[in-house]
Amino acid sequence: MSEGRNTWTEDAAFADGVLKALPSVAVPPELEARILADFNAVAAKRAPGAVSRFMQRLRDAAWPGAPLWKPASILALSLLIGLTAGAFVPAADLTSPEQTTASADTPSVLDISGDF
Amino acid sequence: MKFDPDAELVARVGRGDRAAAQALMARHLPKMLSLARRMLSGQAEAEDCVQEAFLRLWTHAARWKPGAAKFETWLYRVTLNQCYDRLRKKPAAPLEAAAQVADPAPGPEANLVNAALAAEVEAALQTLPERQRAAVLLCHYQGHGNIEAAEILGVGVEALESLLARARRTLRTKLSHLRES
Repeated sequence: MSEGRNTWTEDAAFADGVLKALPSVAVPPELEARILADFNAVAAKRAPGAVSRFMQRLRDAAWPGAPLWKPASILALSLLIGLTAGAFVPAADLTSPEQTTASADTPSVLDISGDF
Repeated sequence: MKFDPDAELVARVGRGDRAAAQALMARHLPKMLSLARRMLSGQAEAEDCVQEAFLRLWTHAARWKPGAAKFETWLYRVTLNQCYDRLRKKPAAPLEAAAQVADPAPGPEANLVNAALAAEVEAALQTLPERQRAAVLLCHYQGHGNIEAAEILGVGVEALESLLARARRTLRTKLSHLRES
């Protein structure tokens, strides 16, 4: 068992030793340039178009630092409440006879047409 | 969650930050190129392989989720997979041919012995099956720990140790004459 362990350790030390003999690999500047050119191409493809830029500006103006759905949902909710109220809440009938009579029976506060 | 020293740079790369891309390259490119060069033995192929791995990085950086895996592990795995693809596409070079491929080492006389030694070691490496070669390079050439190397290779630590043991044994047998000298 210990002999096997010794062999294992010796093999590992040998591998360490021989692989150190391998010279380091220098990075050619052309390779760096090629890789950065790839980066530029990917970044350019990912850059937003005119519509996206407009939406971004709109978003920043309406609700800076947060997604546009927040103010949009608040506006949509307000619209919904308004429409619901308009559709279901009965409007007061200003032309009903009772209202007209009541209005006519009310003495005017300041009647300048009468005699003093 | 383990701290990932590259996470912030990757996020910046995802937002199109060129300086972050350069920083990531400076950090990883030399080791990735060394690994690919030793896996493939050809400089041009190794460069193509690393370029392809970085292209994957630029493309996927915006979708990178920190915490899922260590970035460096993912990057090395991509590089190795590129190497495997290329190795499977081309027929294996014979040992004698590989032995004649030497690195352009600087300096004339003093480095001749080293260059010859390096060529022999490289030739012996090329005879190893690809996963054994990757294991021995990650652990003995690049200095990764067993756990990290196992993650990069996508195997358990025990499987890695088995790969390493076989690779070391083969290397020692093939290069036994170096041991005496």
